[in-house]
Amino acid sequence: MSESVNLAPPSDGEVLVIAEQILGELQPVSLELLGAGRYLADKLGGKLSTVILGDNLGDIPKKLIEYGADTVYVADDPELRTYRTLSYRRVVCDLLETFKLPPHIVLLGSTTTGRDLAPRIAANFETGLTADCTELDIGPYEHKSKVDPSKVGLYEGCLYAIRPSFGESLKARILGPWKNPQMATTRPGQMTPLAPDANRVGKIVNIPVKLQKEDLRLVVAETVREVSKGVRLAEADVIVSGGYGLGSKEGFELMHELAKCFENSAVGASRKVVDLGWIPYEHQVGQTGKTVRPKIYIACGISGAIQHRVGMSKSGTIIAINKDPDAPIFKFAHHGIVGDVYQIVPELIRQFKDKLATKGEKTVVHTH
Amino acid sequence: MAGPYEIFVLIKQVPDQGSKAGLNPDGTIDRAKAKRMLNPFDRYALQAALHVKRTYGGRVTAISMGPPPAVEILLEALEHGVDRGFLLSDRRLAASDTLATAYALYKTVTHVGKFDLIFCGLQTTDGDTAQVGPQLAERLSLPQVTYCEDFHLDDGRLHARRIIEGGVQFVDCVAPALITVANSYHPLAYKSFRGAWRVQQLQRNPEELGKYIRTVDLDIIQADPERCGLKGSPTIVAATEKVGELGGNCSMYEGHAPDEMVGELIEKSNLKEFLVA
Repeated sequence: MSESVNLAPPSDGEVLVIAEQILGELQPVSLELLGAGRYLADKLGGKLSTVILGDNLGDIPKKLIEYGADTVYVADDPELRTYRTLSYRRVVCDLLETFKLPPHIVLLGSTTTGRDLAPRIAANFETGLTADCTELDIGPYEHKSKVDPSKVGLYEGCLYAIRPSFGESLKARILGPWKNPQMATTRPGQMTPLAPDANRVGKIVNIPVKLQKEDLRLVVAETVREVSKGVRLAEADVIVSGGYGLGSKEGFELMHELAKCFENSAVGASRKVVDLGWIPYEHQVGQTGKTVRPKIYIACGISGAIQHRVGMSKSGTIIAINKDPDAPIFKFAHHGIVGDVYQIVPELIRQFKDKLATKGEKTVVHTH
Repeated sequence: MAGPYEIFVLIKQVPDQGSKAGLNPDGTIDRAKAKRMLNPFDRYALQAALHVKRTYGGRVTAISMGPPPAVEILLEALEHGVDRGFLLSDRRLAASDTLATAYALYKTVTHVGKFDLIFCGLQTTDGDTAQVGPQLAERLSLPQVTYCEDFHLDDGRLHARRIIEGGVQFVDCVAPALITVANSYHPLAYKSFRGAWRVQQLQRNPEELGKYIRTVDLDIIQADPERCGLKGSPTIVAATEKVGELGGNCSMYEGHAPDEMVGELIEKSNLKEFLVA
């Protein structure tokens, strides 16, 4: 009967990961995407392919195979040395045009590059794209809405693109089953790479680079990486984070002061206070900021909305300080103090200083 | 061409997530009741657009899509010094995803006319996708600079600094181009008394106001309704689920003096292992 007919577009189950390099350095999110892509491709019974663009890519294609790719499409050309929207868009769109059937799924990292490129490709092919997913899966979907009667029915093998939804402690499962590729981006740190296997066999395919004059309209004069200068949220053992409960920009002076009590520490922030301009974007933890896993995360005046939680819930010990005993953060923190940040944090700093003064270096354990 | 420039800035009205108004007991948002505000990211785009006008000369047009109350943010933009505003408002746009939104904005932009630069906020606070800007640039076949945190113009050429992972990139291209402005750009300057006064006067005279803010619908901009709203959206929200609670075993310290609670926390947690020497 018609109810069991699968309305999903024809597909061979291929999953394509658009890998990313900066100045010849493969970005970790690409390996994470291969881990997620492998799971999805296996579930669909299709192959996992990846495309990498750059200049003098060397061992990168081989590494992509070790991390799970069956086929690596390589676009190696001096013009592709640095990421540029239009030239990368051209090469990827040209590649997708050569497919007999479009890939079932296309994945990118939610990096400044992925978030720049993915919407261009999705708009070009007029297909769906879900940003900043925290989980990806495959499953069926039955469409019941009669707004468009031609769409009503069962779709098999849909990409479940799961992300926290706006302002709510809810996760939304977003689908685009009508058309392939179904596209999604995921944040660095969200997915888990496979263990590399030097014996994995895969195919490396060089693809043509046919840029047009209009693709070269934007010129990259210089790319500067200042890794050591930046805020080292990802590597910090202890993160002291401030939220709207701080009441003002000046509250971050207190956050910095508390952070200074710890070895290898950094200051984080919730999205709201970054929006308000209290602290620069690079400090932001959460769905649209960074995903962090410090040994200790101290959340000061942060309510613990889902967007923040997805960026820090894997921290070793979560300590929350908040005036509101009903704040959601107390539902997943390990230690919670109900109180005013401006009373508790100075007291913390005072007692730390006392401890150091009385016990000296004996109590201090170096962690790196 | 060294100016004056024809500058478009795309802005959106979003629910105010900081206010408890309109928050349902289950944590979902009732958009009809929620307080409304200009998308915080768009303040940087407005500042960038006004900077071009003030430095190089030109005209700034603010464009928005949303239900009728969204006219509030166009008035706000006028107060800040924007010259005119267009609001695309049509029931058939309900439930548009980013692709359908970008299509509708593309039709609006081409309806409004020629431009040199389009500024957008990096993303909105109610969608967080950062997709609409680049999708609009794709429709318009424009070069784009996303995550732009500073720029200048030199004889029609845009020189911009954009954020990349762990660094920055310096890029340049000839206008026309689309720029999404990061929140590390200069914050929006306070509105001038004169701007606020002017808008106050305009609001008393709807006919005069109509010369500065125009509301358009899908028919006026000649957009295909099939490509808008739910029908034109390739993605749908298929399901929402409550997020499961993590841990749930929080050791609480409350109702005591700060020094006692802090002492107990230091005692019971592993904080002391990480203190500096």
